Amino acid sequence: MRKNRLEKSRHFENGAGFGAGTVLRRICPFLTIACLLLLWQWVSAREIISHILVPPPADVYQAFIGSLADGTLLKHTFVTLEEMLYGLLLGVGIGLAIGYAIAKAPILENILSPVIVAFQSTPIVAYAPLLVIWFGSGIASKVVTTAVIVFFPTLVNTIVGIRSVSPNLRDLMRSLKAGRWQIFRHLEAPSALPVILAGLKTSTTLAVIGAVVGEFVSQGSGLGYLVTLARNLYDTPLVVVAVFTMTVISLSLYGIVAYVEWRFLVWQRRASA
Amino acid sequence: MWSGAFWYGSAEQAPSIGFTGEMYPMLKFVRLMLVLTMWLGLAASAQAEPVDERILLTFIPNVQFAPFYVGIEDGYFAEAGFNVSLEHLQEPEVLDLVAVGQAKFGIVSGEQVILARSRGRDVVYVFEWFQQYPVGLVYSSALDLSDLANLQGMAIGIPGRFGASYSGLTTLLGSAGLSEADIDLREIGFNAPEVFCLGAIDAAIVYVNNEPLQIRNLVADGDCGAVSDVEVITVASQVDLVSNGLIVSRAYVDEDPDTVARMVSGLTGALRSVIDNPAGAYIASLKHVDSLPAEEALLNALESAAEEQIAFLESDPDRADIARSRRQLASDLGERFDRATLTQLNVLLNTIELWDAEVIGFSDLSSWEAMRDTLDSMGFLDDGAGRLQDAFTNRFVAGSDG
Amino acid sequence: MSLSLRELSVSFRDPAGGALPALGPISFDVAEQQFVCVVGPTGCGKSTLIRALAGLLPATSGAALYDGQAIDRPMHQFAIMFQDANLMPWRTALDNIALPLEIAGLPRPTRYEIVRALLPQLHLDNFELTYPAALSGGMKQRVALGRVIVQQPKVVLLDEPFGALDALTRENLGRLLLRLRQRYVQTIVMVTHDINEAVLLADRVIVLSRGPGRLVADVLVDLPRPRRHDMIYHQQFLDLTKRVRASIDDLSA
Repeated sequence: MRKNRLEKSRHFENGAGFGAGTVLRRICPFLTIACLLLLWQWVSAREIISHILVPPPADVYQAFIGSLADGTLLKHTFVTLEEMLYGLLLGVGIGLAIGYAIAKAPILENILSPVIVAFQSTPIVAYAPLLVIWFGSGIASKVVTTAVIVFFPTLVNTIVGIRSVSPNLRDLMRSLKAGRWQIFRHLEAPSALPVILAGLKTSTTLAVIGAVVGEFVSQGSGLGYLVTLARNLYDTPLVVVAVFTMTVISLSLYGIVAYVEWRFLVWQRRASA
Repeated sequence: MWSGAFWYGSAEQAPSIGFTGEMYPMLKFVRLMLVLTMWLGLAASAQAEPVDERILLTFIPNVQFAPFYVGIEDGYFAEAGFNVSLEHLQEPEVLDLVAVGQAKFGIVSGEQVILARSRGRDVVYVFEWFQQYPVGLVYSSALDLSDLANLQGMAIGIPGRFGASYSGLTTLLGSAGLSEADIDLREIGFNAPEVFCLGAIDAAIVYVNNEPLQIRNLVADGDCGAVSDVEVITVASQVDLVSNGLIVSRAYVDEDPDTVARMVSGLTGALRSVIDNPAGAYIASLKHVDSLPAEEALLNALESAAEEQIAFLESDPDRADIARSRRQLASDLGERFDRATLTQLNVLLNTIELWDAEVIGFSDLSSWEAMRDTLDSMGFLDDGAGRLQDAFTNRFVAGSDG
Repeated sequence: MSLSLRELSVSFRDPAGGALPALGPISFDVAEQQFVCVVGPTGCGKSTLIRALAGLLPATSGAALYDGQAIDRPMHQFAIMFQDANLMPWRTALDNIALPLEIAGLPRPTRYEIVRALLPQLHLDNFELTYPAALSGGMKQRVALGRVIVQQPKVVLLDEPFGALDALTRENLGRLLLRLRQRYVQTIVMVTHDINEAVLLADRVIVLSRGPGRLVADVLVDLPRPRRHDMIYHQQFLDLTKRVRASIDDLSA
């Protein structure tokens, strides 16, 4: 009983990381960011590179406050987020469905692989203009661009995840006379979840690229449009603000998925402890 | 995107065949004559060795950049002491590279100069290339727009709420006492001919040298719904707005005015040559624009037209005579070739009308003020535009052309 | 008569399309509530036998019958325990044991009630919320055993269940298995490569030949029950293990 408690607390400590060494390791990324900011400040203070090309941090901060105050930044951020959200739902949904189908029926892989390989090896930027022609210049084309770009990592990870389900556990489920849905619910889904979540982490960062590429190709609103707009108004600080916002979105979504992973894959955490 | 707006080219471009001057002895002779004439005229001021210099342009290689191709091919730049290479970039990139001194010369529109100067880019506009603002409103002749106030409530297409199209529309509406809220503005991308002919919009903001031509082609083919003819109201007919021109950095103007003057003189010569002899300019453009139609019959016709034009120019015709000769060229060739083949030549001829003036290169303070007011009304000049007199100078134009 | 094998043989298909005989033909009967251990050299088809009985592998010829009915698919009266514990790493010990009940559609409170009542007998009282990765090998097999017991099977099939464990843990688990058997008396067919273990646990030891496995010896273990670990020093035990050993040694001769 007591030993078990001790064991549990040890797991907890490792999970949350409160050792002296871990504290230092946790601070490291922030130190890197601080150093980069200092370097940026130094470069612009000495005007080693023209302010036209690299605006000073203070100007960027002002542009950030300004665009926040007049609502510009939030407006475009929400547009991009909306496009990404729908794109993720669509792309991940279809990726999961087709990935599962392919994992269960390998003949489908033979049928679909030429299309999949061709699409995956073509950079999205190349066919984004076509998507805009096909789906119009509204939100649809950006949603589709995002969906296309997040589809493949989801597809591949779903196939890998479902195919790597332990055959012994499949036998166990068969011996328990589990139905198709029960096998999916109790074996395939939880077993493939780690791989699928890893794919989702990739997908979320790609989703930002998808939405922004779409916005570059067909204008209107969104952070990609804000970059173009600010660029055309020679407002380089605002360009930097928009780019940073994309980075923050990307990191936040990655963080959310990482949290979901941490939260739902407790057993993996315990395993590594 | 913005710069693309300015130079949006024709959708109908036939694939070209490989073409070099060597294949056409007559053409080579024409060139030689031109170079020889200039060389004799300017021998005294000739530079020892031309220096490499790049000029930053926007959009993509297109017949509308003919003055630069003629400047290279027919020796105007070499004569001014430059071995010019051309690069195409986005307009803001062109401006910033010139502003920080990574390139000496660039071509941008006047509004970009005002916007960029309001954000700390000290560039100077030294030569106005387009004498007329190239944007206008195209609409069916069935509509009565003798009074622009009739635009109220109409559906008007525009590539997007940016660039010269948007500035042009804002100016047009302003001159009629209207604002954007009074019309039904539709962002349609660069698809004005198709969208207009589908009947989805009443009128469209377009580049007057290009899209009206395409729409008329569609009308002639019966592919434009109930529209039997179109008319164009140019922004230039309402307000004189500063248009595209050559920029250099302030530092460069101060340090090396002589080089700037030589570039302006080279460009002036090339531009005048295009205005005077469009057939020759088209031929010079072939080497630079991959997709220009270049069937042998067309080339032969252009070659002899160019040759005749040289002879005609020796008779010292005035501007009106030369303009008539251009119209004559259009109608002569129109009888012998189909519209698709001539589209790019006609774009060039239309564009020449936007370039031609008694003295080329000058820009008026009033056209800068009109542009500033437009940008201001669009909310783009929160920090003010600064002193407009610092944005441009005509000193190189006057000095070289005399 | 509970379980009977009639000329049962199983072959696999090799990549070239030929047949690789893995087991049999083999025939024997297992009486109800009998504990049968199957021993034999590596590759004699022991695991194949268990999987065929479990209905996970089809018979190539002959048949395995349960109550006169051919086993051609998993039977709900059967439970199987694999060589590795074969637990779901994302389920706690409690939920792993409760899996068969969940598949059967029992509501959560009922499931947990049943499993919690069982945990003390499995010596897992304090580990119900522990994930498999944090369990020792012996604990994992106790969880797997719990998962078998909650199925209330008539027949339990064990495929070298203690094969991967150290000697002391094996002994403990063996004792546990016998204790549980006393309480939930079932027919058991267990594959093992440990002769001592087989003789100590089983009512009957069946020796299979090198693959494809055929029956070469059928030794009745008439040691008294309950079995105690010190029986391994009895002459009767030694005689039995010698007989089994001899029939295996004959194979290699």
